[in-house]
Amino acid sequence: MKNKGKKKREALGAVPFMLPSFLGMIVFSLLPIVVSIIMSFTDWDGLEKLNLNTLVSHFVGLDNYAQILGGKEFWAVLGHTCYYIVLYIPLVFIASLAIATLLNKARRGVSVFRVMYYIPVLTSWVAASLIWKWVLSPQYGILNQLLAVIGITGPNWLTSEVWAMPAIVLASVWKDMGFFGLFLLSGLQSIDKTFYEAAKVDGAGRIRTFFQITIPLLTPSIFFCLVMALINAFQLFPQVMIMTEGGPNGATQVMVERIYTYGFSYFRMGYAAAFSWLLFIIIFALTSVQLKLQKGWVHYES
Amino acid sequence: MRNKKVNKALSIMLASVMAASMAGCGTAATVHAADSETEAAMAPVKDPEEEVTIKFTNFNASGGHEETLEKMYEAFSEEHPTIKVDIETVGYDDYFTQMQTRVAGGTAPDCYELNIENFAAYAAKGVLAEIKDVDTSGINETALHAFNVDGKQYGVPGSFSNVVLIYNKDLFDQAGVEYPDADWTWDDAQAAAEKIRALGDDIYGIYAPTTYNEFFKVAAQYGGSLLNEDKTEFTINSAPNQEAAEMMVGRIVDSNVQPTEAQMGGMKDWDLFESGRLGMIPTGIWAFGEFTEACEFNWDICVEPGGTQKATHFFSNAYVVNADSSQKEAASIWVSWLASSPKAAEIRIADGWDLPAITDETVLADYLKTTPPDNRQAVFDSLDYLITPPIIEDYSMMSDIITEKLGEAASGKITAKEALDQAQEECTQKIKLK
Amino acid sequence: MNRKKIWGSVGYYFLTTLIAVIVMIPFFWMISTSLKSKGALMAMPIQWIPKEPTTKAYSQVFTMFPFLKAAGNSLFITFTYTLITVISASMAAFAFTKIKFPFSEKLFKVYLASMMIPTQVTLIPLFIIMNKLQLINKYPSVILPSLFRVFGIFLLVQNMRSLPDDFIEAAKIDGANLFRIYRKVILPLCMPTIATLCITTFMDCWNDYLWPLLMLTDKNKMTLTLALNSLNGQYGTAYNVLMAGSLLSMIPIILVYIIAQTQSKKGSIEGGVKG
Repeated sequence: MKNKGKKKREALGAVPFMLPSFLGMIVFSLLPIVVSIIMSFTDWDGLEKLNLNTLVSHFVGLDNYAQILGGKEFWAVLGHTCYYIVLYIPLVFIASLAIATLLNKARRGVSVFRVMYYIPVLTSWVAASLIWKWVLSPQYGILNQLLAVIGITGPNWLTSEVWAMPAIVLASVWKDMGFFGLFLLSGLQSIDKTFYEAAKVDGAGRIRTFFQITIPLLTPSIFFCLVMALINAFQLFPQVMIMTEGGPNGATQVMVERIYTYGFSYFRMGYAAAFSWLLFIIIFALTSVQLKLQKGWVHYES
Repeated sequence: MRNKKVNKALSIMLASVMAASMAGCGTAATVHAADSETEAAMAPVKDPEEEVTIKFTNFNASGGHEETLEKMYEAFSEEHPTIKVDIETVGYDDYFTQMQTRVAGGTAPDCYELNIENFAAYAAKGVLAEIKDVDTSGINETALHAFNVDGKQYGVPGSFSNVVLIYNKDLFDQAGVEYPDADWTWDDAQAAAEKIRALGDDIYGIYAPTTYNEFFKVAAQYGGSLLNEDKTEFTINSAPNQEAAEMMVGRIVDSNVQPTEAQMGGMKDWDLFESGRLGMIPTGIWAFGEFTEACEFNWDICVEPGGTQKATHFFSNAYVVNADSSQKEAASIWVSWLASSPKAAEIRIADGWDLPAITDETVLADYLKTTPPDNRQAVFDSLDYLITPPIIEDYSMMSDIITEKLGEAASGKITAKEALDQAQEECTQKIKLK
Repeated sequence: MNRKKIWGSVGYYFLTTLIAVIVMIPFFWMISTSLKSKGALMAMPIQWIPKEPTTKAYSQVFTMFPFLKAAGNSLFITFTYTLITVISASMAAFAFTKIKFPFSEKLFKVYLASMMIPTQVTLIPLFIIMNKLQLINKYPSVILPSLFRVFGIFLLVQNMRSLPDDFIEAAKIDGANLFRIYRKVILPLCMPTIATLCITTFMDCWNDYLWPLLMLTDKNKMTLTLALNSLNGQYGTAYNVLMAGSLLSMIPIILVYIIAQTQSKKGSIEGGVKG
């Protein structure tokens, strides 16, 4: 009885802490999301004035979902998105871990590098993609010129159906590694130095220390980066719009690009909403698996 | 000589306007149509007695012409002192996303600007007000007609651009080919392009994008069209269209007088022309400014070649009035003034901001004085052949499907015929026509 | 031993410099473009050093729109936004990790899930909500969404989870209430992560375009990013002016980044001392 009261009191203590974000969620997130669920069962065009009557009068039931799942486009686009993710996640992860490790060293000039490595994150995709178009240009591009030095004839990156997606991955890794590197770096910085001293005393080598101490202690940050990278990767959008617009021949059409096109260019907002909810189910399922699995490998308590 | 040509072009334009206004006489009670003195009779909509403020949102003034628009508004204020206009200029990126959101959210401005793709959808969805009882007599008829849907005028053409053939004179000299003239067909262009292509490995004869926009025009040059007469069926894979597509694609995959995407190496078509390695480019007259600054060689323009007949593009944005606006009349007065007033046109030309879509000869004559190109007259000559894109509700989807299929043909994956057959099938399956 | 150290240094600086060059290339290109005069901006192959460098683009930035006014608006919005984000997110993260309450795990999942719906389809409903709240053309319309930034909450949850509960138990025994624990124990320990959160939040808010475009149509309330984007025309963009403007607008973020970096170092030392 007494225990129950104590529990209740403790739970009540959470209320003031949760209140700001909870209110924010209801107004700015949950309400619009609920509307978008209803939208997904309508053929609303996204132009007629939006209110409940409009949505009711455009009700089509599960038509949008049936149409999407029955067509070829969704699966093709899902395939492209997965292709992107499979290439992007490991690459961006390795690159940002490398950056974080380099920047965590106490060497002269390291703070200058810290600023420099963050510059791509600050650069707008408009500027970044212009430069990447040049880097990837088959004739004048620096990438193919470098490949030529080691005797490889580089592909026509952005205009080849096979290579356009890897090219976008490359540009995205370049842009995002500083972002995730920042979080891994702050994870590295919060590791207690005494662990390393203990390892030194034990005579552990650098590599063993890295894998047996650094990585396990970094797992909360790694987990964060993995979840965020996955959610962001599924919502890949601006770089595609600017670099290839979904081409060549639709090879880089991805989920959010389609959602945007259907909603704001083809005026089929209901269809776009249904597309979004299918995307949601996929991301949610994968994230739930990640949350489940984290208990096995993420170490929170030192 | 030149003056004679000007007069010829203008007289044709005036004649077409006269015809339009006479047609008006036949059907409606408008009487003094051609009489410019009684302008008021043409515009039964009166200025509001009391001061009203309307909101006007546009993108065309972004990137350097906000002041020009401001000057126009000042001139407008003198003529219409009771209408105050709150002008909002938004960059082109995301303009349509924000406008759609505001329309759906019920807070759209009283009048705004739309490009042709979005105009088609907005008009079909009933969010635009009909612009009526205002003076549109000074506006180029084809341009005005582009925004007329089922007999209702849902927009007025603000500015106006068309497409001409721009060519590199130096390359023509080197190849020993005569300069193109208005009588050329695509066969003549092809012959010239092949000679220019022979000049060097990375010198190309011509560049015309293999996109929907280019295609519907070239199709018209061969007598084809994308839809049947009453817009109930697609006719994308008709015989004349096929001829058009084969010509466009053949330039790339067969004779290679036009570079493939790979040969372009990420360059844009204008960059290629500016670098002096491209003989001909059919493109918009808005390129003049940049080409004047960037080209270190001689270039000129002429009316675009045709197939079995001539057809030229024009591009125009529509000024429209919000169907929900409480100030529809004042908004109509403002947008039609912007589109048709000689005063607005003068300011436009003086500041080098697109061409006004009007027929006033004295105003347009000023436009011809600037060179290069020497043959600026071709801009007006091209007006004789203007065609407008087919306005349907799912305009963007149709244009995306056709562009994608033509792209596949241009990369050699499928033939031009297959591209059109597939586009026909996909459009028929995905798009419901009325 | 010494030789090994020298080679280590050489290897280290070789690698870091190489990466620096790779990441800085677009930045150099932006600078070079911003110093070019109009015309042939996009020529291939790229012209790295402008033939006749000019600062015309920069003076154009200052004359084409009220640059300082827009920068001031941006600064105000971004600072408030970042501050609210940090407070609201750290409070939520504290409750999620250090207070037991029913459905806390489920609620956290709902929070996370809200990030998985593309904003493209919630844009119009959210716009209407803002309109109903009569927030359009008022600063709160772009600031208040900071109350709910799941990204920040998730980041801080990950950080606070690895803080041992002993601290809290000890503080409780000392008679400290929850707010005291949050302020005096947890926040200082999270300083490095909060600094990181500040940087990313600041950057996101500073660069945000579509939402302010919808909310702040009044010219006097325009943010810098909005103003810069109004330089994009339908048929072409003056890249030199755009790049000049973008470079200028990057300066505040870089400054915040540098400040946050030094703060986080200080914070981690203090946190370490206190821990």
